[in-house]
Amino acid sequence: MTLATDNSTDIPPRVWWSRPASLPAPSSVRHAISAIGLGLPALLVLALLWELAPRLGWINAIFFPPLSQVFSALGEMIGSGLLAQHIGISLQRAAIGFGLAVIVAIPLGLLMGRYTLFEKISDFLVQTLRNTSQFALLPVFILVLGIGEASKIAITFYAAVFFLLINTIVGVKSVDPLHIKAARSMGTSDWDLFAKVILPSAVPSIVAGARLGVKSSLFSVIAAEMLAAQSGIGYLIQNSSLMLETDRMYAGILTLTFIGFLLNYGLVAFEARATRWRASEDKGAV
Amino acid sequence: MSLAPVSPLPVGAPDTNRIALRDVRKTFQLKPGQSVTLDGRLSDRIPVLSGVDLDIRQGEFVTIVGPSGSGKSVLLDIIAGLTQATNGFAAIDGHKVSRPHRETAYVFQQYALFPWRTALQNIEYPLEVRGVGRAARRERAQHFLNLFGLKGFEDRYPSQLSGGMQQRVAIARALATDPQVLLMDEPFAALDAQTRDILQSELLRIWEQIRTTVVFVTHSIDEAIFLADRIVVMTARPAQVKETIAVDLPRPRDIEIRNSAAFNAYRARVWDALREEVSKAQRDWALASAYNA
Repeated sequence: MTLATDNSTDIPPRVWWSRPASLPAPSSVRHAISAIGLGLPALLVLALLWELAPRLGWINAIFFPPLSQVFSALGEMIGSGLLAQHIGISLQRAAIGFGLAVIVAIPLGLLMGRYTLFEKISDFLVQTLRNTSQFALLPVFILVLGIGEASKIAITFYAAVFFLLINTIVGVKSVDPLHIKAARSMGTSDWDLFAKVILPSAVPSIVAGARLGVKSSLFSVIAAEMLAAQSGIGYLIQNSSLMLETDRMYAGILTLTFIGFLLNYGLVAFEARATRWRASEDKGAV
Repeated sequence: MSLAPVSPLPVGAPDTNRIALRDVRKTFQLKPGQSVTLDGRLSDRIPVLSGVDLDIRQGEFVTIVGPSGSGKSVLLDIIAGLTQATNGFAAIDGHKVSRPHRETAYVFQQYALFPWRTALQNIEYPLEVRGVGRAARRERAQHFLNLFGLKGFEDRYPSQLSGGMQQRVAIARALATDPQVLLMDEPFAALDAQTRDILQSELLRIWEQIRTTVVFVTHSIDEAIFLADRIVVMTARPAQVKETIAVDLPRPRDIEIRNSAAFNAYRARVWDALREEVSKAQRDWALASAYNA
């Protein structure tokens, strides 16, 4: 069948998002390179100062060993597998707690966002719990759950669950009523309305909450490990400090910085992927 | 199922009348604290439809025109089963509509595409919720996408398409389930004039192949005449059917038909029917804003 269709008047030009996802847009690569190029000198100055200040006796090398010494301690810990072991334990705790938070928060958030009565019943409770610091609760977790894995997982769960819950509720509430109306007109069942309309609408908000939640989980597990643990990167930093092995302590801190970097960029990339259907102009800044 | 049979329905033979509206009334309850003045009395209820009677034949293309705020969209919502009439009812094939009907499809002014789905996935959606298998629905969606000249735009998201292309996808989505009834609520009102003309012709060309029953709400008199077998003119709020005008122009219609004497005559006739209602509606608004000031 031939239908003459004159699209010529309203087909927009192919723009950057029309290229295959595997090819990075040249402009963004150039942008990243120029950002690094401009930002790098300041970092190098800091590194140089860190190296020279203790060597020249400006600061005490016991508390502040030169950067090269920190790197050699880092290399030693990488070589012995010690670092990987502690990182693995910390990430595992954070991941389990965060995973549980996702399992609890998203269904709960969908219900709270959709059903006003459900929200009215639970909102006050959620607000109360949300404003109780997970760090303040650590002694409670330890008392109730012991100093083992359970209390660490509990704190990471608590650290993430409210970011996810609140953002899921906000996401559900911001669903376009027209999308609901259109879905209903096409005979969408209640279940499909949740799964195929409300949840995808809420994804950008949920993913933004997840980004905050992942960071919060990781920071919390480090803090918990510093206070009461025999393993994990937080324990490594705290224990090195107590032993005055400051080169290892700084190596641990730098490792955390590096993990934070990777995590942030990973999450930003994940967020961009999950919300790539949005128009480019309403995407948030990195 | 979802539809309770209605009997006896005082309409013609069931195979000729597809949609029947009987004394359809709709009154909106305002929110607490809001009120309007109707005939000098303060009220918290607005009657929008006050007894609409209309029969629409199978395969008929009906356009509805009326002043702004005369409840044309509400009427479509009632036929679609998205809103209940306060009184009276809408029936499709002799069955009262009480919830969205499987054989009805709805096209909105603001497209209402799902932005997280690609063009193709949007067209697949109504098939998906009806349980059509993946391969079958993909093939069907592709067919309708091609029908609207959108081959090559399968994987674009709505935000990457122009308004005209988005509305093409929305119409393709509506037609993908072979609906008996297609409801269109000012579908081209948000588009520029050229795109609007093109889409009107495209819609007619496709409709002439499928001959589904169409109820099309518009503000444009030209659009109403160009598309319709019959034009329904509504009164100002609270709305009733003021007049129906059969459009006896040959099909298939070309855009040039708008310059013909016959078309001009229809234009004058529709405008005649509408003029009084529009000025009534405007007085209504002027009164409302005077009270609000």
